[in-house]
Amino acid sequence: MKKRGYGIGSMWYGIGSTAATNPSGAFVDFLDDGTAIVMSGCADIGQGSTTVLAQIAAETLGVGLEDVVVITADTGMTPDSGPSSASRQTYISGNAVRLAAEKAREQVIAKAAEMLDLDPGEIRLRDGQVWYEEEPAGKTMIEVIAQCRGEGILTLGHGTFNPATTKLDPATGQGVPYATYAFATQIAEVEVDTETGIVEVKKIVAAHDVGAAVNPQNVEGQIEGGCSMGVGYALLEEVVVDGGEIKNPGLSSYLIPTALDMPEVFPMIVEAQEPSGPYGAKGVGEPALVPTAAAIANAVADALGIRLYDLPLTPERIVAAIKAAASSQHE
Amino acid sequence: MEKFQLKMKVNGRTVTVAVEPGLRLLDVLRDVLHLTGTKEGCGEGECGACSVILDGELVDSCLVLAPQAHGKEVVTIEGISREGELDALQRAFLTAGAVQCGYCTPGMILAAKALLSRNPNPGRQEIARGISGNLCRCTGYAKIVKAVELAAAELQQKEGAAGV
Ligand code: FES
Ligand code: FES
Repeated sequence: MKKRGYGIGSMWYGIGSTAATNPSGAFVDFLDDGTAIVMSGCADIGQGSTTVLAQIAAETLGVGLEDVVVITADTGMTPDSGPSSASRQTYISGNAVRLAAEKAREQVIAKAAEMLDLDPGEIRLRDGQVWYEEEPAGKTMIEVIAQCRGEGILTLGHGTFNPATTKLDPATGQGVPYATYAFATQIAEVEVDTETGIVEVKKIVAAHDVGAAVNPQNVEGQIEGGCSMGVGYALLEEVVVDGGEIKNPGLSSYLIPTALDMPEVFPMIVEAQEPSGPYGAKGVGEPALVPTAAAIANAVADALGIRLYDLPLTPERIVAAIKAAASSQHE
Repeated sequence: MEKFQLKMKVNGRTVTVAVEPGLRLLDVLRDVLHLTGTKEGCGEGECGACSVILDGELVDSCLVLAPQAHGKEVVTIEGISREGELDALQRAFLTAGAVQCGYCTPGMILAAKALLSRNPNPGRQEIARGISGNLCRCTGYAKIVKAVELAAAELQQKEGAAGV
């Protein structure tokens, strides 16, 4: 018989390394042609951090995304930005880039104010133009940068960001381990075949508070990818160790989800602005996978009326649990 | 060991190379011809990262010995763009955001290409089946499936326009 069930998993997750300093640095340099170079040690391993840093720089500097070149993760030239781990790069390196870009912007604004004889506090940079009180002020950023260069002023900014954390008290475990947290809830719908023990995930709805989604398509990609890892964690993936030896060290014995194993995932991006984040952003990397297995296991419990306590929920385990429940009922 | 004179067509060009007969097609492509778009993941036919099209069929190039490609035609990811213009699938992958780390991408695109040449208008389930031999750890496949749908729709539209 096929039984349907629904389950919820919720989580909170700290952004950045736990109770540790984990700073990031960045340089932003305006060039003569009005384009900018961003240098950051942040390694893009596919999550899209380079795009996100370019967006943050472009937004801050008032130039187009295509006018920003990002040089990353080269220990020969980029500042240390810490690891791409702990779901930290958008929040921490994003802030470093924002701060560096603000410093570069300050030089240009100061010179523009002098050239136009205006109050620097009222000057904005947007679309490659100098703006004053919501109107273009009649100078391009290229002209101002040229003036800076002519006077020997470099339009270079440096920024660092280190999240506000404290060490934890060894006696009580109390302290501030993270400067901010991500929150998420996922709901899974499953169908369990009581004969074979096969669990099919039909649908996952995944709502993630990311502060602000700098790049919504990237955020969705992270959520969808996290859910697939969560499906693997819930149903397939287990490192079998025997006497210190891994018994399933290949993809034929350690199975991960294929396209056929994945249900439709409905990502929902929740934007509750994080005041300390760059333009309100936090992180989404690891959180995307945290609640999935819990949601699926709860859905299986809902379908069967039986709760399993070991992952993955393999057909063998499901069938054994159904049999155990049936025999304990007979007694 | 005596070298094997391997002659095959790669991305439309005939190549002749002397190789160890035990070499895999994957090694010939990457190490001899320097076509490094084709990736090695598992090396045992499980992940599809090394997928190429051999005489119209999708194969894992880590499971094909170089002499087995003799006299055949190989298409790799480098061979599907024309004169610098990306293939419809490549463009669709960009639009849909279907690439994260990119390691599965060349194989995915070739798997999708092989699928679309068999079935120009596949449904979601058929797409999932068509790429199910290609593992992706990053994307959860959602945007990859979307990209294949986009490319299929574009090709259909072109086909329709050409037919008029
Ligand atoms: S490298 Fe050939 S299938 Fe994995
Ligand atoms: S994009 Fe990383 S494995 Fe597919």
